[in-house]
Formats: sequence, C-alpha cells, structure tokens
Amino acid sequence: MNILEVHNLKKYFATQKAVDDISMSIPKGDIFGLLGPNGAGKTTLIRMITGIFYPDEGEILLKGKKFDPENDVKYIGYMPEERGLYKKMKIGEQALYLAQLKGLGKADAMHKIKDWFKRLEMESWWNKKVEDLSKGMGQKLQFVITVLHEPDLIILDEPFSGLDPINANLIKDEIYRLAQNGTTIIFSTHRMEQVEEICNHIVLVNKGKKILDGTVQGVRQDFKENLFGIQLENNPETISSPSFEIIGTGKLELTVKINEGFKPNDVLGYFMNQGSNIVSFKEILPSLNDIFIKLVEGTPTARQFEKVTT
Amino acid sequence: MYKIILIIKREFLTRVRKRTFIIGTILFPLLYLGLIFGTGYIANKTREDLKIALIDQSGLFREELIRSVNGNDTANSLRLVTVSPEKLKLSFDSIGYDGYVIIPENFDWRSGVDTIKVNTKKSFGAGAIDPVEKKINLMWNKIKHDSLGLDNTKDAILSKSVTLKLNNEKNRNADAGIASTIGYVCGFLMYFILLLYGSQVMMGVTEEKTSRIAEVVISSVKPFQLMIGKIIGIGMVALTQFLIWIACIFIIYNVTKTTGSGGVASAMVGRIQEVFTSVNIPLTVGCFIFYLLGGFFFYSSLYAAIGSAINEDMREAQSLSFPITMLIIFSIALMTPAISNPSSPIAVWTSIIPFSSPIVMMARIPFGVPNTVPWWQLGLSMLLLIAGFMFTTWFAARIYRTGILMYGKKPSWKEMIKWAFRK
Repeated sequence: MNILEVHNLKKYFATQKAVDDISMSIPKGDIFGLLGPNGAGKTTLIRMITGIFYPDEGEILLKGKKFDPENDVKYIGYMPEERGLYKKMKIGEQALYLAQLKGLGKADAMHKIKDWFKRLEMESWWNKKVEDLSKGMGQKLQFVITVLHEPDLIILDEPFSGLDPINANLIKDEIYRLAQNGTTIIFSTHRMEQVEEICNHIVLVNKGKKILDGTVQGVRQDFKENLFGIQLENNPETISSPSFEIIGTGKLELTVKINEGFKPNDVLGYFMNQGSNIVSFKEILPSLNDIFIKLVEGTPTARQFEKVTT
Repeated sequence: MYKIILIIKREFLTRVRKRTFIIGTILFPLLYLGLIFGTGYIANKTREDLKIALIDQSGLFREELIRSVNGNDTANSLRLVTVSPEKLKLSFDSIGYDGYVIIPENFDWRSGVDTIKVNTKKSFGAGAIDPVEKKINLMWNKIKHDSLGLDNTKDAILSKSVTLKLNNEKNRNADAGIASTIGYVCGFLMYFILLLYGSQVMMGVTEEKTSRIAEVVISSVKPFQLMIGKIIGIGMVALTQFLIWIACIFIIYNVTKTTGSGGVASAMVGRIQEVFTSVNIPLTVGCFIFYLLGGFFFYSSLYAAIGSAINEDMREAQSLSFPITMLIIFSIALMTPAISNPSSPIAVWTSIIPFSSPIVMMARIPFGVPNTVPWWQLGLSMLLLIAGFMFTTWFAARIYRTGILMYGKKPSWKEMIKWAFRK
C-alpha cells in the first residue's frame, strides 16, 4: 500500500514553475529520497505535501484518501531545512507546546517527550533555552520534535547538516528504527552518499520536473556503463582484446569497459589465457553522485526567472 | 479552535511571565505621572529670570514704586539706575544686568507710549519678558490710580471680577475640566498601548519568521490561526496590564477615602473623589476596554502583516510600518481639537471612522454619554470599528500567509496588496 501518492502536482509562482506536473508514489515503510539541485522545487513540493501550500493543480492522496491539511497534519512530521525553534523558550515547554499543536494530549505528549529525551540523552536540557544549545544539539531537538507525535510520514530536509558523526549515527539509527516500525520517511537532500546508504527509493527532481524515479539499486543498474575493476598480481605489459578497453590504470587495479556483445567472462578468459593471476574482479556501478551530476549537468545551475502563463 | 487557544496561551504566558512586563506595569504609571509633573517642574526650573536696569527719563517711575512691584515677583527684578543711556549700553552686562529699558521723556501718565524696547545682548524665549512687561504695566497702573486720586478701597472695587462656571442642567455632575483631563489620559493611554503592543505583534511575527519556527508551526496549524493566536494573546497582555492599573486606582481611591485627611493628601483625595462623581466610571472603563481591544485588533493585524513581510532588517520594519504609525499619530493629533470642542463635526466624525475612533472617541466619552456623545454615535462608532478590524484582519491574514514563508527581498506595499487580493 502506498502511504502517499501525488498525481500531476503543479505549483506556479509569478516567475517560476516551481513544481511542474510531478507524480510519484511512496510505499508504506519506505525510506524515500527526494533529490534535486538547489532550486529544483523540492521545498515547494514538500510544502504542498505538508499542507503549507495548496497545489495549483493535481491531487495528493495520503493513506489512500484525499489529503486534508486541516486534519491530516497529525500524520505528518516535517523538519524544514532551516531549523526553527523559539530561541527564548524553555526546551521542555517548547517540545510540549509543539506536540500539543500537532494534536497530542498534554499527558501523552509529556510521556513521549520524556521517553525521547531519555533515549537521546537530553534529559538535562529540560529547563534550558534553545539559545543555550549548540547547533548540533538544536538539530537533535528539532528531530525529536518532528517525530514526537508518531507520524506515519516523516519528511526530513537535510537532517544531518551540522551533526557530528556520532550524533549523525544516532539519528540514522532512529530513522532505521522508525522505518522498521512502519513509518515512512522522505529524505530530501543533495548529499548522495547518505542517500545511497539509507534510501530504498529515490526521485530526482530538476527544474520542477521529475527526471528519475526508481530504487537505488535499479537506478544504478540502469545507468551502469559496463565498467569493471580487475586486480591482477602483476600487470601484463601489453593488453589488447576486442572484448574490452582499458580506461583507467591504477597501481594495482585496472578499470575496463566491456564492449558491446561481450561478457565479463570474456575479460576473465583473456587474462587467464595471458597467464595473469586474478586477485579480484568486480562490477563498478555508477554512484548516485555520478548519476546526479550526469543528469543535472548541462542544465543551468541556477534556475532562470521566466514568465509563467497558465 | 483548541490550537488557537494553545497559541494564545503561549503568547500570553511567555509575555506576562517576563520581568519586563512586571516592571513595565509598575513603572509605566510612575513614568506617566513623572512626565506630567516633571515637565511642569522642568518648565518652572528652566524659566529665564531677567534682571533689568531701568532708566527713567519721564520722572514717573520712582524707586519705591519699583521696590513694591519687585516684592511680588522676586525672580525677575527691575532696578532703577541713573547713569546715561550711552554709558549703560556699554556696561550693563558687565555689571550683572540682562538688559535695560528706557522710559522716554514723552511718557505721559494718561497715554503712555506704544512700545518700550528691552535692550539685551542675548536672545530670550518668547515669554521671557512677560513678567517685566507685567511689572511696568503694574507700576503704570499705580501711577494712573494715584493721579486719578483713587484710594485703596476704590482700587479694590475696580479690580473685582466674576468667574464663569459651566453648569450642565442635564448632567449635574459634569465638569469640563475633569472631563478633558480624563479625555487626555484615556486618549494618550490608548495611543501608547496601540503603539507599544502593535509593535510587539510586529516584532513577534518577524521573530517567528526569521527564526524559521513559523514553518514548523504552519505545518501543524493554519497561518491564520498562528496570526490570530498571536494577536489575541498579546491583546490579552495589554488588557491585563490595563486591568491591573484600574484595580490599583480603585485601591488607591478606597484607601484614600477612609484614611486620607489633612494637608496635601486631602486635597488630592478631594480631586479624586470629584473625578469619581463627575464621570461615569463604569461606562468609561467599559468603553475603554472595548476600544482598546477593537483598536488593537485593527492596528495589530496590520502590524502582523508587515511583520510577516520583512526579514531580519529592522529598518525595513520602520519604513513599511510608517504609514500605520502615521495613522495612530494622526489620531492623537485629532484628539486635542476633539477635547476642546467635543461636539464639533470633526470630533464627531473622527470618533466614528474606525482608524481614529479608538483614540478620539475615548477622548470624548468622559464628557458624558448620551449628552455630548449620543448613543447612536457610540453605537455606530463601535459597529464600524468591529467591521474595520474584521476587514484589516482579513486583509492582513492574506498578506501574512504569503509573507511568512517568503524570504529575500523586502516587498513594497504595492506587492503586499497584490498578495492580499490574489486568489
């Protein structure tokens, strides 16, 4: 079952088609990556999913029903890219206030806050103010506030920026734990290595349009260029075969590109015939980073302002 | 609705619990009184006292005459000197005079002369020579009386005059003096509250926007709920402060009624008692609360709209909020003519039109309802104010929902109005 479906969503601003006919669906319990360069329309798309903006056209289905921002906000937890908290308010009170705004009862909210604060070792923060926290601590607090009301769909915009590796891992583990318990997580970022590590599905958005949609493995397979890394005990002096070309020579490893109509076995056969001892042989899949750059490159880095006629 | 109450509660509690609220509540009345008495005191203190040398060429202004008028007002003194005008002109300031006057030879006791110059080497304020003028005229009067042969009894008869006092037959207790004082106090109090709390709303909204908490909150509540919650919350703070002041006045009133006696205190008590009997206090307080809230909603929603449009830069706030602040200042400027003539057409209409009605109507109400302010005017004014703040709130909410998530360039008023009327 898809927790979220988006059909032909459009949002035009005066000078930009921020989101231009995007459709996607996200299965329940998935960790979903929403990728795109700066200004691609990610934030606008997220703001429509969180009910901050109304779409100009198209529909959003949450849990199979038409999204009703008024009542459905309790199913969604949103952590915006720019962190926002009341600087002068005590942390405990602030968490309680924001949880109550999401529709939690006071006692229930209190119980959950205590629970989370204990787990993330934040108990001593209760009477501190946000302005007393470091950037990373603020980040942790923001995460707790986002997930406190146990939403079915959590949207995290660049959740790891500003976190040290220890705290980043802490949050990462919490994300895995939530996903295992059936929570769906949308992850908006341009840090590709994190996406590769965490996400199952990705959608790549550029200039308001969806340009890629699939599983992380599927996408990497789709964009593979038949590259293999081969490591030999000693490199032969001359290598030439119709089955492949060498496109990179490292100290111990060769990168080869297999030509059309040939198979990896042909490459291995060639080196075995040459009498070379093969230490390792592996397929090199393109990283998401490479795919991202390949797809987005060539389009202007910043979107130009344009006249929008609807 | 429950969420709006949560927001109101937060806005109210975070402000009321602040030390600045408690200090402000205590200090403001003290400062206010200090301002009234202080300016009077300073004006008194900084009055320019003149020491004037007098050369009498007419032979009418004798030494004992001068001494007798100096006795009444010792601060400004006249001294008869007998040197020549040329010599005095050169040296009057070095021998300690601020200036000198010459009574010319042709000064006749019947007709006098039109003007006499006070020659000085410094500039003085507009009213500085009034006491000197008064003294010279007083002396001339004595000269006239002596020459006409009037003795002290006849003199006393001549100087008798009558005092006029207004007596409103419909409203026995009306006292124009007290009514204008209360009118001024109400008008200025309204002015301060609108400006102070209006800008608090503006800064509160800007703070939520720049700290990006708005985006977190708006993913839970509608922008309108956040805006109206803040306005109502801060409005409650203003109301609480006002009610504390009213309670204090009643306590002072009751305490002084039972214990106040003797000297200055009893005079003060007398004044306060007079105020309570001559002005319809429950009606005035009730109307003040209505106009306080109505005016506050009217202006603060506009301030909220501006707060949502600006970014970190406080100068943007100033330039955008200028037209709104001008409206409040304009209202206070309209208050003075309204108090001096509370039934004039300008007073009537500006107390009905929503933007100026909170201040001008509050200045008129102490003059009496329904004599000075008929019920229809009060009713119409209240209805229009309700309609007015409903419009500004609607208008502001539409700017707010766009502005609160818009970062970057400061919008112009034109753009903001475009936001408001976009579908």
